[in-house]
Amino acid sequence: MFAAISSASLLGAEGLPVTVEVHVSTGLPGFTIVGLPDESCREARDRVRAAFLSSSLPWPSKRVTVNLAPTTRRKGGAGLDVAIAVGILVAAEEIPTRAVADLGFLGELGLDGSIRPIAGIVPLVAALESAVPVVPVGCEREAAVINPKHRSVSDLAELAAVLRGLKPWPDRPMPPPRPAPVATSDFSDVRGQLQARLAAEVAAAGQHHLLLVGPPGAGKTMLAERLRGLLPPLDAVTGLEVTKIHSAAGLPLAVDGLIRVAPFRAPHHTASVVSVVGGGTSSMRPGEVSLASGGVLFLDEMSEFPGSVLDSLRQPLEEGVVRISRARGTVSFPARFLLVGATNPCGCGASANSMSCQCSDALRLRHLRRLSGPLLDRFDLRISVERVQADDLLSDRRAESTETVAARVLAARDRAVARTGCANALISGPALEQHARLTSEALALLRRKIEAGQLTGRGLHRIKRVALTLADLDGHEGPLDFNHVATALLLRSNPLALREIAA
Amino acid sequence: MTALPGEAYAAALAGLPHLTPARLRALLARMEPSEAWRAVLAQRAFPSGFPTRATTDDAIELLGKEAAKVDPAELWDRCLATGTTVSLLGGDAYPKLLAQDPFAPAVLFSRGDFGALAARRVAIVGTRQATAVGREMAVQLGAELARNGVAVVSGLAAGIDGAAHRGVLSVAEGASPVGVVGSGLDVPYPSGHHKLWQEVADKGLLLAEVPPGSIPLAHRFPQRNRVIAALAEIVVVVESRERGGSLLTVNEADRRGRTIMAVPGSPRNPVACGTNELLRDGCLPVHDVSDILMQLGLGSSLFASPTDHRPPPAPLEQGVLDLMSDRPLSLEELVSASGFSVPQVAVALARLEIGGWIVETAGCFERVHVPTQRRGIR
Repeated sequence: MFAAISSASLLGAEGLPVTVEVHVSTGLPGFTIVGLPDESCREARDRVRAAFLSSSLPWPSKRVTVNLAPTTRRKGGAGLDVAIAVGILVAAEEIPTRAVADLGFLGELGLDGSIRPIAGIVPLVAALESAVPVVPVGCEREAAVINPKHRSVSDLAELAAVLRGLKPWPDRPMPPPRPAPVATSDFSDVRGQLQARLAAEVAAAGQHHLLLVGPPGAGKTMLAERLRGLLPPLDAVTGLEVTKIHSAAGLPLAVDGLIRVAPFRAPHHTASVVSVVGGGTSSMRPGEVSLASGGVLFLDEMSEFPGSVLDSLRQPLEEGVVRISRARGTVSFPARFLLVGATNPCGCGASANSMSCQCSDALRLRHLRRLSGPLLDRFDLRISVERVQADDLLSDRRAESTETVAARVLAARDRAVARTGCANALISGPALEQHARLTSEALALLRRKIEAGQLTGRGLHRIKRVALTLADLDGHEGPLDFNHVATALLLRSNPLALREIAA
Repeated sequence: MTALPGEAYAAALAGLPHLTPARLRALLARMEPSEAWRAVLAQRAFPSGFPTRATTDDAIELLGKEAAKVDPAELWDRCLATGTTVSLLGGDAYPKLLAQDPFAPAVLFSRGDFGALAARRVAIVGTRQATAVGREMAVQLGAELARNGVAVVSGLAAGIDGAAHRGVLSVAEGASPVGVVGSGLDVPYPSGHHKLWQEVADKGLLLAEVPPGSIPLAHRFPQRNRVIAALAEIVVVVESRERGGSLLTVNEADRRGRTIMAVPGSPRNPVACGTNELLRDGCLPVHDVSDILMQLGLGSSLFASPTDHRPPPAPLEQGVLDLMSDRPLSLEELVSASGFSVPQVAVALARLEIGGWIVETAGCFERVHVPTQRRGIR
């Protein structure tokens, strides 16, 4: 007569545990779903009934009421289909109640009775807690990230037979892992450009946001893509967090399920605010800032992005999370990404210093206006990238490879984490005071810059953080040296010459 | 009303949009300011046979209506409040230099010191839509002229004008800047130049032909240009379009027989068309400040070798410095040419900058040949 089945629904990057209650009673035959289902969830009525008939299961000619608890939260998507079907079978006494006692069901039904994969298996399985998850075929690797004791089924008839005790659980081999992507881009491909290479290394080691300014064809995109390979692998906690987000967004996961390689996201400049920040659908899809969490968010042609999108980045940059509030609820996603921006110095693409740029100030200012102000200030590293020189392009000498540089980055990051528990860019003010001491010569250099009006209070802190990372990369102990501060100052230059134009 | 000085009425008259500079001059040549004001108000300002272009009854009526909206007492208070001095043509305070001009403004509003006009004077003018290169040139010319004791006259507009005065103000001890503007002295235009106006008034002289509170109107800028031409001995055009406002200044300067010089630019650069045209017509080219100084008869001062107090750079730094002898280089070029690592070059650059051997502009490093502390003509 009555059944309660464990399942879960997706909200943001987390699963919401849902109990599917089914009541089958005498009365006028009918089928209703209550408990705030959204449209795609309500459509389960038609899918479930068709799947029953296709799988030669008896459809109860009675009054069927399905309730999705907790009833105050809206549930979306087709992932509750299987749980509803199993609930009806139990309530119609086709399956004994004890057969489903410790199980949780996830999956979408086809009209032919097949069980289809759904997005967000990782957070959904996590939400099922102690129950053994029953997932669609094809979702095994994702389910295994959380719970190795999962079961997988291919269609409703098979599931019904297993639950009736007519068949054992099918023992499917894990699907073969997808071939590991061949690393096609190595850091040694970046010829010359020693400043840009150093900036990328510092950015990776200290998690410093990086702005690349240069003419088209200077290799800004190439550099940003290779920066990903330099980032330290994700730790277990961050890896799971990232895996959940990617699973919730329906993106393919890593070879063995858990994502350990820093993600790289490069949204096009026509991206909308919702696609970058998150939200949108009833399940609140994670945005690009969250998909890039733990890795690199690369904004190519940054000045072409709408101002609203760039402004929406400021809060996640500051806090490392995005909180999305809608009428139906609030979700927060992690958004601790390394922002890499690339822009032409001017609409015509010529570099700021070259004589070939003949654009008027008004044009240049219009090009840069979206970037100026608080966002520009958040970049610890701002460098100009020039076109590679012929000698470097043609020489046989290989630059350092990803492997060599990544090892140095990892060592530097370990040193930073051992000292303050976080990457240098995220150090709090007091901790910075304590750990970033300066030699008198370095102090004099900074004093000079401040007195000349070339450095603000906020800029000073950013310089110190970058200098600390440079020292970490050197394996340097003790107060920061003149060369660390001098290099940090050069890596945070003003390649857009905004000051000169802004007047 | 009777307690107001004549300058208050003159200021009120100068603010009437339809009282052109020629009419104003003719009016004040015949009557006392207070008398002229009452005549304009009563719409009987221009009796028949008035020695100016046909002044129709309509225009007289229009002026009367305009004047009715102005309170000279209120305007006078505003002059006092903003520290604006009002000088009348023919008065003692009026600068002699300008009084000689046949088209001198009848009423002159000023902030700052007329003493700034005692120096040699060169106008630097050019387009508002300047390129980075042109602006850089204007800054450099402004700074070098000021350092050599030459007062730079300019319009404080966007682009070249503003850049020239920024150059002048960057020099700690040099000639005072002279700014001539087209709106009221308390109405900075463009508004972003607020600080620049203030600094020019503080360090030099700021002039206008219209009273405080006057908004910038298109027709007042050509009038302003004639004052610039009247004040300058040489007019230097840095960048100008084919029909730029700066060419109006050139025409005014030409009428007065002033020397006109122009900075050459690429023939393909639209903002160099006007200047290249001037050069083709026989104007003198300006390659650097020595061309202008030579024309002023000050050439020799540039060749006096200044004493260099800078500490000599260390060998490694000298190596980096030598790379910059031809032209400014970016960090990338320096690293590539020197063969040093980025931190090594960074240290060398920081030491060189502290020593005063180089300056950084927009990510490029440039060698400084003369110490920046150098004084002007001695």
